Amino acid sequence: MSIEVKNLIKTFDEKRIIDDISFKVNNGETLAIVGFSGSGKSTVLKLICGLLTPDSGEIITSKGDIAMVFQYSALFDSLNVEDNIAFALHERKELRKKYTEKEIKKIVAEKLELVGLKGIEKKFPSELSGGMQKRVSFARAIVTEPNSILYDEPTSGLDPISSTLIEDYIVRLKEETHAASVVVTHQMSTITRTADRVIMLYQGKVVFEGTPEDMLKQDNEYTKQFVTASLDGPMKIISDN
Amino acid sequence: MGSLQKYYKQSATYKIFSGIFIEFANFLDTLGKITLNGIEVLKCILKWQIDKKELFDQCYRFGITSLPITLSIVGMTSIIVASQVALEMVKQGGGNFVGLLMTMLIVREVGVIMSGFAIISMIGSSLASEIATMRVTEQIDAIEVLKVNPIRYLFVPRVLSGILMMPPVVIIAAVVGVIAGAVTSNLTSGLGYRAFFDSAWLGIYMKDLGVCLLKSVFFGGTIALISCSSGYYASGGAKGVGEATNKAVVWSFVAIVIWDMIFAIAFFF
Repeated sequence: MSIEVKNLIKTFDEKRIIDDISFKVNNGETLAIVGFSGSGKSTVLKLICGLLTPDSGEIITSKGDIAMVFQYSALFDSLNVEDNIAFALHERKELRKKYTEKEIKKIVAEKLELVGLKGIEKKFPSELSGGMQKRVSFARAIVTEPNSILYDEPTSGLDPISSTLIEDYIVRLKEETHAASVVVTHQMSTITRTADRVIMLYQGKVVFEGTPEDMLKQDNEYTKQFVTASLDGPMKIISDN
Repeated sequence: MGSLQKYYKQSATYKIFSGIFIEFANFLDTLGKITLNGIEVLKCILKWQIDKKELFDQCYRFGITSLPITLSIVGMTSIIVASQVALEMVKQGGGNFVGLLMTMLIVREVGVIMSGFAIISMIGSSLASEIATMRVTEQIDAIEVLKVNPIRYLFVPRVLSGILMMPPVVIIAAVVGVIAGAVTSNLTSGLGYRAFFDSAWLGIYMKDLGVCLLKSVFFGGTIALISCSSGYYASGGAKGVGEATNKAVVWSFVAIVIWDMIFAIAFFF
């Protein structure tokens, strides 16, 4: 087991965003979390990686790093690609001691090659396309050899071909790192091409859990509405009132 | 009872007092966050957790890029004051004290407070907007996920550069201010440079210089700490960046005036 979430609850301004959810993700497995915007998907990722603290419940992760690929890449725009990827290696005391500058350069080159972006070390994020930025953020995420990788809408805003490329990298990274992966997404192609299991959230609760194939069978009212993108169904667009 | 409470909540009295309470709570919240960040920065400095390259870059930004605006503001303030007092003092027979007055004024107050205002507008606002942009674009979240202490990475070099660079900036600004005062006095009242500088030396006390340098250390650190903190807690996209920048400028202005008052009471009351 690499990530285990038990009875997680998170409230913002007296509104329960995550309402008693539990799931497990094993090493080498990818779990997709799907649901409407505002259903609490990204909050789950932020809780797992420690950016938010749960009101109650438990998050158990294997010893080691948790990496996160952010929705808009979150690359440091004042640093070039090389310094972005090597950020943790330069700034974390234990890693700085472990590697020489020459070794860091080699690691950066290897990670860039892994995401198909050889030779762009000296470019700045503003000089890269959205898809390339996303791949650089993949390289940055895996530089510490994490046990778990979290992806926050990795293919949103990308064209279909770039999306396919990113989906392939998610699968490839899982195979290469054998990490437990959690992918938050809206896109069906990302779900079917990357996920081993899927959970669906609605109003902070898990309303479906199964394989992508189960999801496509449409014998669950929630997944049926999601897959068919229908306005009719148990899920209503949530308003603030 | 329920409807009475409903009407009470709609009343102007309730709205005014609840508004004041919320503002006061926000004020305490911000003050607490700035204080905690300051303590964390101090801890990192004492443990010598300092990125020297980043510190050098920030020192350049704080000390060199701010110089033109700082020197202009202090120099012009000096010209404004000298053009109004020099002629009058010469007329009244106090020409020998113009240099003393100008130097004392610049060393004790104008040099440091005007430099502070210039640094806030030039550096404080840019620090706040830079860090606020990093916050709203999730770059600070990325720093945390990569298990790097954002206070050490972002705050320490900036606050330390403020502490280290403000004193030399103030000294240079004070020298420029005194020279501008001498030139202006000469042009407006015909007061000789020798007469100006002979009395100027009499206006410089070691205590004044010490207080001036101490104030500049506090001002530099405070401006950087408030600006970084304002940016750090930004939220909500472009509007949040604007609000953080605004907060940094307003809070820094008020803070350095409060520091100035504390120093005046402590050393000259």
